[in-house]
Amino acid sequence: MNKIKVSFKVNNKDYEIETTPLRRLLDILREDLKLMGTKEGCGEGECGACSVLIDGELSLACITPATQLEGKEILTIEGISDKDGEPSYIQKAFIDKGAVQCGFCTPGFVMATHKYIKDGGSNDETKIKEALSGNFCRCTGYAKIVDGVKEAIVRHNDKEAK
Amino acid sequence: MKKVVGTKVKRLDAYEKVTGKAIYGDDINLPKMLHAAVRHADIPAGKILKIDTTKAKNLKGVVSVLLHDDIPTVKKVGPIRRDHNVIVKDSVHFIGDVIAIVAAETLETARKAADLIEIEYEEEQGIFDPREALKPESKLIHPEYKSNLVVHYPLRKGNVEEAFEKAESSDDEIIFERDYKTPYQEHAAIEPEVVIAEPNHQVKGVDVYGSIQNPFTTRKVVSIFTDLKLNQVNIIGSTMGGSFGGKDDIINVMACRAVALSLATNRPVKLAYTREQAMKEGYKRHPYFLNYKLAVNKNGKIKAMKINIVADSGAYSSQSFFVTWRSVVQATGPYEIENVQTDIKAAYTNKPYTAAFRGFGSPQIIFAQESMMDELANELGLTPYEIRKINGFKQGSKTASGQALTEHKVSLMEVIDIALEKADYHNKLKEFEKYNKTSRRFKKGIGFSCSYRGSSLGAEGVDTTSAIVSVQADGSSYIMTGLNENGQGLRTTYAMVVAETLGCTMEDIQFLTSQTANIADGGPTVASRGTIAGGNAVKDACDKIKANIFSVIKETFNVTEMTELVWADNKITNPQTKQEINFADAVQMTLNEGINTSAYGWWKSPDVSWDKETGQGNAYFTYVYGCQVAETQVDTSTGKIDMLNMVAAHDLGRVINRTGAEGQVYGGVAQGIGYGLLENYSVQNGIVKSENFDEYLLPTIKDIPNIDAILVENPDKYGPYGAKSLGEPTLELGAAAINNSVKFALKKKYNANPLTLERVFLGKDLVKKVRQSEVVSKERCEVPNINSKSNSETVPEKTTDRVSDINITVAKTLKEALEIMSNKKHWIISGGTDVIVQLRKEKYHKELLDISQIKELKITNEIDGNIVIGSACTFSSLIDNELIQKHYPLFIDGISLIGSTQIRSRATIGGNLVNAAPCADSVPSLFVYDASVKIESTEGSKIVKLSDFILGSYKNILGENEILTQIIIPIPKDKKYYRYFFKLGRRNALNITRMSIATMMSFDDNNKIDEVYIMPGSVFAKFQRLTNLEEFLVGKEFTTDLIEKVIALLDEKLESEIGGRWSSPYKIPVFKNMLRDALLTILEEK
Repeated sequence: MNKIKVSFKVNNKDYEIETTPLRRLLDILREDLKLMGTKEGCGEGECGACSVLIDGELSLACITPATQLEGKEILTIEGISDKDGEPSYIQKAFIDKGAVQCGFCTPGFVMATHKYIKDGGSNDETKIKEALSGNFCRCTGYAKIVDGVKEAIVRHNDKEAK
Repeated sequence: MKKVVGTKVKRLDAYEKVTGKAIYGDDINLPKMLHAAVRHADIPAGKILKIDTTKAKNLKGVVSVLLHDDIPTVKKVGPIRRDHNVIVKDSVHFIGDVIAIVAAETLETARKAADLIEIEYEEEQGIFDPREALKPESKLIHPEYKSNLVVHYPLRKGNVEEAFEKAESSDDEIIFERDYKTPYQEHAAIEPEVVIAEPNHQVKGVDVYGSIQNPFTTRKVVSIFTDLKLNQVNIIGSTMGGSFGGKDDIINVMACRAVALSLATNRPVKLAYTREQAMKEGYKRHPYFLNYKLAVNKNGKIKAMKINIVADSGAYSSQSFFVTWRSVVQATGPYEIENVQTDIKAAYTNKPYTAAFRGFGSPQIIFAQESMMDELANELGLTPYEIRKINGFKQGSKTASGQALTEHKVSLMEVIDIALEKADYHNKLKEFEKYNKTSRRFKKGIGFSCSYRGSSLGAEGVDTTSAIVSVQADGSSYIMTGLNENGQGLRTTYAMVVAETLGCTMEDIQFLTSQTANIADGGPTVASRGTIAGGNAVKDACDKIKANIFSVIKETFNVTEMTELVWADNKITNPQTKQEINFADAVQMTLNEGINTSAYGWWKSPDVSWDKETGQGNAYFTYVYGCQVAETQVDTSTGKIDMLNMVAAHDLGRVINRTGAEGQVYGGVAQGIGYGLLENYSVQNGIVKSENFDEYLLPTIKDIPNIDAILVENPDKYGPYGAKSLGEPTLELGAAAINNSVKFALKKKYNANPLTLERVFLGKDLVKKVRQSEVVSKERCEVPNINSKSNSETVPEKTTDRVSDINITVAKTLKEALEIMSNKKHWIISGGTDVIVQLRKEKYHKELLDISQIKELKITNEIDGNIVIGSACTFSSLIDNELIQKHYPLFIDGISLIGSTQIRSRATIGGNLVNAAPCADSVPSLFVYDASVKIESTEGSKIVKLSDFILGSYKNILGENEILTQIIIPIPKDKKYYRYFFKLGRRNALNITRMSIATMMSFDDNNKIDEVYIMPGSVFAKFQRLTNLEEFLVGKEFTTDLIEKVIALLDEKLESEIGGRWSSPYKIPVFKNMLRDALLTILEEK
């Protein structure tokens, strides 16, 4: 079994690991780095529970092999917080709007929302739904997740205005 | 005074969930923990002749391999009937049977070892239809039970035969009969099943962690299986990633397996399922076959109802005894009928077994009976509303089981009226009727369904539960309960009951994860009884504590009755004197007197009754009522249904947490939409076809419309603060409401769900007919064409989803990549969205070459009147590219609909073309734009037309040493092109294309058709433009007549090329419609 060395950043921290080439980013995060917030729901790139940002692109950790991590900057749910370590405005909005039930899909939705707002996403419901359409939720019927995203956008805009 | 009950409260566990800190089952890793894997059967029915574990045992890192005979104790489990072998011995009952279990140092080793176990079978013809299973001549699936019948519940009220005789001879009455069929439904909690077992030396037993819905049930099953006493088994639940009834029996047998391995190795063992394994082995909602026969007075009054239902229990009896019992109680729906005769039977088949799923025997009967009520109304010239008003339960009505509804508010008509008003139902009926008369393609519908539902377990069994509330000296408190937080929000609800009852604040309450060792058996968290049962137990504990505190402080207040004081806002107040004491001080005073401020709460349901012979009795102590209204839009060209709106009105007794209650409604409605429209767990001849979420379609965020959640409150005397049930009723109504809505839109009736494209369009589903022998051999041996022409490698089915023995070489430059390819054949990977998924599922062991980092392949340029796109460009980058936007809007239309944001950011255009799937979304528009591709090897390069590159389904001309490097598209002439792209899929996102059409047209100065391109996707065996149609159109005046002529031409072509296919009865007429829609849209735009 040949191994490769890859260097990358996760949540602004440098890592160099030795692993097998096709090892999934999901397993590297959960097993090597003990970052358990990224979840596996389907393992085939369908459900979005393992969504992370790789160089700013919303990506699926379950279908990203180790070979594609060299030099990348990865952002996971553990890296989403305000400067003081408090939950970010997105996470707070999700809490306040009841966007969470079992919570298993939640990290993926937070990541997709983070990407959407970072790209200047608007409060338009159709656009919000488009941005989150790669994430399954089986509990909430999505309604309160959309509420959470809208609230997060309001808070983001308020913050920007200040 | 601050009320807590009824307000919107944030979940107690939201913080850890949004931050990713919550610990779910798979997040638990214990020191020295082993990983387990199971070996599933390879056939749906037959004998096991031989099992050879040698190779598995010899694999480095394997610690234990256990077969049936290695289990020293009880081997079979089951809630009523112990017919479920935890590890099967010599016969296979369904494809998800487990034949061997393995523990190894790593997960990958364990799964690999499971794959290496060699099994010889003697395959037998399975039974796949429960009606077939019940025939006397049918083979017995479990011979020891002497029949394939699992259970039969009869219900007899009045005299049905007499009523039918009377109806037959009466001019005032009619006989009305209908058949319905409902499918399997998979829970699809986003967290797959996982358990961890660990030896507990202190009690000489085991501890079990994991995604466990009903810890006390799991404890009982493990105790039976191991012969350990209940006090030697401790179940410690983890945060649950959804359950919906799904993590009960399957988790119990998984727990037994993990425990067996743990006891055999004396180490902790984790058994985690992949999605495929969970889909294959996990139980589902029962498929039902239902026959309803009515005697009805022409004025609408139903005089008699005779119901025959056969439920598919699958390979095991599991919860069939309970699920079908609820069905027999509620099968008439909320209608008062004098004469009722119901028979429901569940039978074994060689298919995945069936058990609890939110709704529990009600969505099936409601789909049938509520669809039927609309059809009956139609038959009698009444409205759906009128028929329900005539027959619906009123205060004091008697149910089919003879129970008089006197102990609670019968709010059936109330919820119907509220829901219909909110939906503006009566106006919309007229409005849509009018709309449908003029709208050619789209028709709108509105329809509703209603139900009644017994709260909690009813006469199913002993209905009790437990809670502990412990108030500390500073006024803060702990709660523990016998019921489980499964994601539904039970902890928050209980904390609110404590805050309301004791008058303390939410912030001062902590909920402790219960362990079975720490609290009395609280029964299962099922039957929407979390609030009514557990809430009562919590309140009971609080009332006891309150009484203790009151016994001390009453002297201080100089009062004699509890009611004289108000407990709220962390204070206890006498409103008369304004005297007040802080709650914490009152607690301290009580403790100082040596009096306890902790208490055990207990709840036992009010009495219920049931006579098994007659099906008569007071089945449940209270009932809830609900009504849902569905607004739909049907595309008559394709049969695709879009949800426009849902209204859900539910009488839940009393709202505790408004946020949580609304969340339950939204979530249940979404699952009901899935059941009604999308979710079809497909099992053909015993083989599971829906293995993962690409084949089992869950609703995406774009499939769920606005939902109006209306919480109707009629407090119940038995509920905590009047609260009853909500979780399940929210799911059970949607499919029927949607069916009624679609029926209104199309004036057609459908007797089965989900309403797939084919069912809506043709009135039936199309299934590829294959014999079992063919299915089995094909499934096991044939490797689908994936990437290239070569298709020679076959290795046994694998469950290993980790593929560390595959080598990937990363090329930095194209030159390097070509050199690597010239030395040895490699499978090329770029975005990985196809390759990695296929590696996981299929049986390839190849060398991979990663070209995703080759810069030359990631650029897009304008060169000599062409746009040249590097093959490793992702779809996101192309969608954002201004050159592409400017020149190829039709291409943008097509690729914008690929997968999801996540997929588009990884998937590349080169991958899509090389994969050459018939449903590839980038291909049709590239054919229209006449794209070519550049193929390179160390020997040179060539440019070929895309149409010559793709040979057919999953076939291309790429040689073993070649790489597709560029896509070259001529820049279209600078003139006005009209374009139309349509992609047909079952959902609105994450779609696999069923068919698509890309069309582009231009007109000359005389308004004649100048250029025209018609390109179908996923229609023919090989991608091809419809050039004969194009040629026919060019130079002609564009009219509706011309369009019909060209459709006739298309018809000939379709009939001759795909006419014989199993799918053609759908594809041919629908693709004709798609072309008509394309051309008419352009005609209109022009």
